[in-house]
Amino acid sequence: MAAPGVFKDRTYSDPNPLPSSVPAVDELGTTSAPLKSASFFIGQYCKPVNDDFMLCKQENQDPAHCLKEGRKVTRCAAELISKLRENCLKEFDAHWQCLENNNQYFHACRKVEKELNSCVFTKLNLTKSIPGTPEGMQQIHEKKNPLFGPLTK
Amino acid sequence: MPVPWEALIPFGLLVGLFGVAGTGLNIVKRSQNDWKPPRYSLDRWEEMMMERDRRLTGTLRGQRTDPIAPKEFATNSVWDSTRLNA
Repeated sequence: MAAPGVFKDRTYSDPNPLPSSVPAVDELGTTSAPLKSASFFIGQYCKPVNDDFMLCKQENQDPAHCLKEGRKVTRCAAELISKLRENCLKEFDAHWQCLENNNQYFHACRKVEKELNSCVFTKLNLTKSIPGTPEGMQQIHEKKNPLFGPLTK
Repeated sequence: MPVPWEALIPFGLLVGLFGVAGTGLNIVKRSQNDWKPPRYSLDRWEEMMMERDRRLTGTLRGQRTDPIAPKEFATNSVWDSTRLNA
């Protein structure tokens, strides 16, 4: 699991917590599949906070420089996940469980995703839109007869 | 005229043994993946996310949707290190 060309000699872990001068923030406890399922909604809901963090990182890559913006990012994502669980728990669970069974590919879970998108749109007023889509081209998740489906290998 | 059923025994053996081997392999792979289909074509990002999942839940394929992480997550990060000189 190390980078190619690097031989892992031993692992290093640091059990000491952050110094008390750094304000504490509860880390995001969502794992990869639910996070991927909620990713586009996090992108829309937390856009200003996330953009702040990325611009700050562009100035200076030092981890200590962007701690404040990073805390805001964590809190915003945790907020959206709790809202999602409150309002659309069933559709959310169905979607990320479908992703887990399909190597986390979006194209394999369009049916469940449509239900999640409509629930999130009515309850939380968020729509999934893929940022790099060319002008005039339909969003790939709204295509009527997609080329790739759950059984495509 | 009697049907030569003995001639079909090899075919039955092949089908049966392939089936047993395939099913056994499937069971072994799934049991190592929390009874889900195994992941494939993993890049560094996916491996990093799976390692994060292991830190959050204990297994590489465990998933949870709680927005707040358990207390241990803040300090159980693991980094690889390489010895540079003897």
